[in-house]
Amino acid sequence: MLEPIKENWRILLLVVVVIGATVALFAPGFGPEPAPGEDTSEAREGITNLQYGLDLAGGTRIRAPLSGYTATDVAFEGDGPATVAEAVAAELDNASARNVGAVPGERAVEVTEPSVTEDQFRRAMDASGYEYGDVREGVTQETRDETMNVIQGKINEAGLSGGSVQQIQSITGEYFILVEVPGEGRQDVVDLLEERGTVRIDIAYADGNRTAVDEGVLVQKNFDDIGTATQSNRGTGSYVPVTVRNSGESGQSPANTFQDAVVQRGFPDAYNTRSDRCEYVNGSLTGERNPCLLLVVNDEVVNSFGMDSGLADSMGDGSWAETGRFRLTTGEFSEAQTISLNLRAGALPADLDISGEGTSSSISASQGENFRTYSLVIGVLSVFAVAGMVFLRYREPRVALPMIVTALAEVYALLGFAALLGYPLELAVIAGFIAVVGTGVDDLVIIADQVMSEGDVSSRTVFDSRFRQAFWVIGAAAATTIIAMSPLMVLSLGDLSGFAIFTILGVLIGVLVTRPAYGDILRRLLTVR
Amino acid sequence: MVAIEVPEVDYTDYSNRQLAAVPLAFLVLALAIIGGWFVVTGAPANLGLEFTGGVELRIADDGDNVELVVTFQAAEDDPEGLANDLEDQASAAGLTTTAVDQVSPSFASDTARTALFGVALAFLGMSVLVFALFRTFVPSIAVVASAFSDLVIPIAAMNVLGIQMTLGTIAALLMIIGYSVDSDILLNDSVLRRTGAFYESVSRAMRTGVTMTLTSIAAMIVMAVVASVFGIGLLRDIGIILSVGLCADLMNTYLMNVSLLRWHKFEGVKR
Repeated sequence: MLEPIKENWRILLLVVVVIGATVALFAPGFGPEPAPGEDTSEAREGITNLQYGLDLAGGTRIRAPLSGYTATDVAFEGDGPATVAEAVAAELDNASARNVGAVPGERAVEVTEPSVTEDQFRRAMDASGYEYGDVREGVTQETRDETMNVIQGKINEAGLSGGSVQQIQSITGEYFILVEVPGEGRQDVVDLLEERGTVRIDIAYADGNRTAVDEGVLVQKNFDDIGTATQSNRGTGSYVPVTVRNSGESGQSPANTFQDAVVQRGFPDAYNTRSDRCEYVNGSLTGERNPCLLLVVNDEVVNSFGMDSGLADSMGDGSWAETGRFRLTTGEFSEAQTISLNLRAGALPADLDISGEGTSSSISASQGENFRTYSLVIGVLSVFAVAGMVFLRYREPRVALPMIVTALAEVYALLGFAALLGYPLELAVIAGFIAVVGTGVDDLVIIADQVMSEGDVSSRTVFDSRFRQAFWVIGAAAATTIIAMSPLMVLSLGDLSGFAIFTILGVLIGVLVTRPAYGDILRRLLTVR
Repeated sequence: MVAIEVPEVDYTDYSNRQLAAVPLAFLVLALAIIGGWFVVTGAPANLGLEFTGGVELRIADDGDNVELVVTFQAAEDDPEGLANDLEDQASAAGLTTTAVDQVSPSFASDTARTALFGVALAFLGMSVLVFALFRTFVPSIAVVASAFSDLVIPIAAMNVLGIQMTLGTIAALLMIIGYSVDSDILLNDSVLRRTGAFYESVSRAMRTGVTMTLTSIAAMIVMAVVASVFGIGLLRDIGIILSVGLCADLMNTYLMNVSLLRWHKFEGVKR
């Protein structure tokens, strides 16, 4: 029972791989992740689980760095990030604290206002008195992550399935944001990235039995700074720190106006203990009917807040407006992140420098679909060409037929891998497939010639020793191909890394699975007489 | 039916110098073309959009019949603005833009550097591995030299044929490294590691190696022809480059490498 399995394990392994590939290609559950509001079958393109890249599906790709400068190794001297950012911003004429960020974790200070030059930033850093190591182009890791979140949020919100955003690093160490959106035109994607919503804070208060609202007590331009979501260091909650501007061109500053409105609507009287909360449901106040702050994004109320009694008191005695700082507190960290996002109303924390150092490309959906069909035809015809040559050379179906079948199995297994990894197929990946068929058949020719050289193969021992000799050449050739391709896998050269990954995968599958199996098939056909 | 029989070559009729002269002449010619290109245009090859920056649009009329590729390279300071303008103009004229590529010049030069670095690293890695495999100087350098020539000849051919250097064609050049080394390793293995006389080993390796290379050339020619019918420039270029590279490989392997190996076997070892 076990003997035939042991004898033919290489062939069995090939069969298992082919079955595995079939499952990955066709079984539901291995398909692409559906976008929000889309079911699984909609996310699949065609009958297989394969995903197609922009070349073959149509869509837009934008790759650009974030504009800004970062001072590294900054000595914070125990000052908080807000203080440092303000000190630096004060030295810059064309930037406010909103465009300057200090990240203690990275010991970095950055400026994200595109009009600030490197020279100006250096001078501001020098003038601020904080020691720093160097100034480099680009922004901090935190800002990059934040920008990615914002972009991902925009893509999800627009319901664009399969859209993705990632960070890549170039050989010179510069970071790029790579945004890919299938099925959308270039202009639409750029607009989506640059689009900003409106955000404001309203006050809801009880007016007799009704709920009245003071609209726009704070609007977007009143904020000096909108912080990132922060985990509270006492207790469980999270918060977003914000600073309201306390300087007005004429008369009252926004901070004073806000303070007056809060006092007028009775916050200091309503919030005295921790148990006083804001209860705002479906447009009206309930329970104690305390006044509430409402966060309104694009004319929709997305959050409501009560007020800490200490804060309410400082507003009551008029001292709060001097600093203009408060925190929007929530239970969940993720909620704080959303609030921070909403407050920015879709503005990216740093601008994508698309025209300066970026690149964008876009292919229409119909073009992509054509390319998909065409590359299938090209692949099939290339395989026919190879098959024709092999038949002409050997004129023996026993040798040639298994050769072609094994080469096809190799491509099939690779397609299975692509479906399993969810790696989108691109023209460059198709080129990789063709390279794999080419080297694969080359190696099978080596095996066949080696095994059949020097007369008939009569015994298993003769076969095995010849097969092993052939395998040295194949292994050596495979190793060189892998070595030659591996740098491309990691360098940020766009399409080329897909090409390299699939060539290497193909070579590995070939050496480990399909070529040994071909040897076994050949042995059975030649030695069993 | 036509059968493919790999012809037996009687190498004893030719001296090493005669054998090596042809591939060396080709290599020198190719280097001269590339050098000349560098002197005249400032770049060793026709750099594509990805390496120079600029804007490229593919425009079709609404019947989808006529397709036009419009390219503006590197002339503009604001390629994104240009891309938008062009798109607007095309749609105003009732044309559909099927694809837009926009690359800023500074990004492009970064890409060019990275690509050059990648190819150099790939070549270096291949060379180191070949030396590690054979551990003798002459056969190893033969493989490396042949791979070098296999890369240089297609680049010169690209210049002459007007094919642009893009990321896709870089991929093709890297494929050549892989293919080229295959047949060279086979030849070295047959001559150095197997029993049998020199000429017998060479003709054995040739039988296999020439079949391999011809099979690949057939696939690449088919790919180039079909892809150019369909208008997929990338696959067409890869097909052409690999066909040229594989032909160069046939020549380099069975003329230059054989002569180097023969010298190594009969004269080099005696010293």
